[in-house]
Amino acid sequence: MLHWLKSLCIWILLYSLTMFIVPLQAAEIGRSAATNCDVHHGSCIQTLSNIQVTFEINPKPVKAMMELNFKITLKGKQPEASPYIDLGMPGMEMGPNRVSLQPMGKGTYQGTGIIVRCPSGKKIWIAKITLPDIGKVEFIFDVIY
Amino acid sequence: MSSIETLYVIFFITGFTVGFGHCIGMCGPIVVSMSLNLGEKRILIPNLFYHAGRITTYGVLGGILGVTGAFARVTAGIANLQKGVLIFAGLVIVIMGLGMGGWVYMGKVFGDDYRSTGIITRGFSKLSKVQSTSAYLPLGLLLGLLPCGPVYTTLIASARVGMEFQNTFKAALAGAGLMVVFGIGTIPALLLVARLASMEWLRYREGIYKIGSMLMIALGIYFIIKGIQY
Repeated sequence: MLHWLKSLCIWILLYSLTMFIVPLQAAEIGRSAATNCDVHHGSCIQTLSNIQVTFEINPKPVKAMMELNFKITLKGKQPEASPYIDLGMPGMEMGPNRVSLQPMGKGTYQGTGIIVRCPSGKKIWIAKITLPDIGKVEFIFDVIY
Repeated sequence: MSSIETLYVIFFITGFTVGFGHCIGMCGPIVVSMSLNLGEKRILIPNLFYHAGRITTYGVLGGILGVTGAFARVTAGIANLQKGVLIFAGLVIVIMGLGMGGWVYMGKVFGDDYRSTGIITRGFSKLSKVQSTSAYLPLGLLLGLLPCGPVYTTLIASARVGMEFQNTFKAALAGAGLMVVFGIGTIPALLLVARLASMEWLRYREGIYKIGSMLMIALGIYFIIKGIQY
C-alpha cells in the first residue's frame, strides 16, 4: 500500500511537471488576460510620476513573428537615459526580449523588435516600459498569430 | 566580461530557468516517452545524444540567424516544417502512451513477447525498438525544430549578436554559440524528468502506469491539435 502511494506521488509529480505546466501557465495567462491596450487601433496612454507615456506599435494590425516598430512618447520630465521595453507573456517565461529605443526628439523614442509566437496559442503579451531612474509602466495587449 | 560573454551567461541562465518551466511542459513528454523505452541504467547516454541533436539544430539555426539577421524570413521559411515536427512529436507521444498502457504491444517497451501483425503495429514496433543509442541523435536533430517561444527569443538575440560582427564566420559562431549555451542550460531539467520516468519500480505499477499512459495519450493529442492549428 505504501509502495502504491509512493508510486502515485511520483506519477503526480512527474505529470504535473510534464503535462500540466503549459496548461497551468496558460490558465495563469487567462487570469491576467485583461488587456489594457488595443495596439491594433492606435496608441495607448498611461501616466507615471506625472509623465504621460504614449505607447504605439506599427505596422497594424500587430502580428507576431515579424519586425515591428515600437514607439513611445513622453510628455513631462524626460528620463536621464533612453527608455527600453521588455516584451514577455504574463505568467509564462519566454526569455529576455528587450527592445532598445533611440531618441527621435521631442520626447519620442523608437526601436524595432519582434514578438514571438507561443505554440500554446495564447496571444496576450506585455510590454514593460522602463524609464530609467523614474519607474516602469506595463501595457498588456493581444497580438495576431 | 564582454557584452557577448555576458549575453552567453544570461542565455545559459535563461535556458536553465526556462528548462524547469516551459521546456518541461513542451519537451518533457518527449523525454518521458524516450526514457520509458530505455532501462533504468541506460537513460543518460541516449538522453545526452538526444540533447546533442537538439542543441546541434539550435546551433545551426543560431548560426544562420547570426549571419543573416533575418529572423522573420528564416522562421517563416521553416514554419511548415515546424508544424510537421509538432504533429510528429504528438504522434510519438500517443504511440508511446498506447504502448505504455498495453493497448498496443510495443516489443521492448514492456518486454520481448511482441509479435508484429499488420502494418501499424509493425510500425509501432520499429519505433519502440529504437534502443540504439545513436538513434537518439537524429531524433534530437529533428525535434530541435519544435516551435518554442523561448527558442524564438534566443534566435532573435542570435540575429542581433551576429550583427555586431563584420566577419561572416564570427557572426555565425556568435549566433550559434548563443543558441548552444541556451540549449545546454535546458538539459538539467529534462534529464531530471527522464530520470523520474525511468525509475524501475515505477515501471511495474500497472494501474498507475495505465493512468499515466492515458495522460500521455491526451498530451500527445494536445500536441497534434496544436500542430494542426500552428
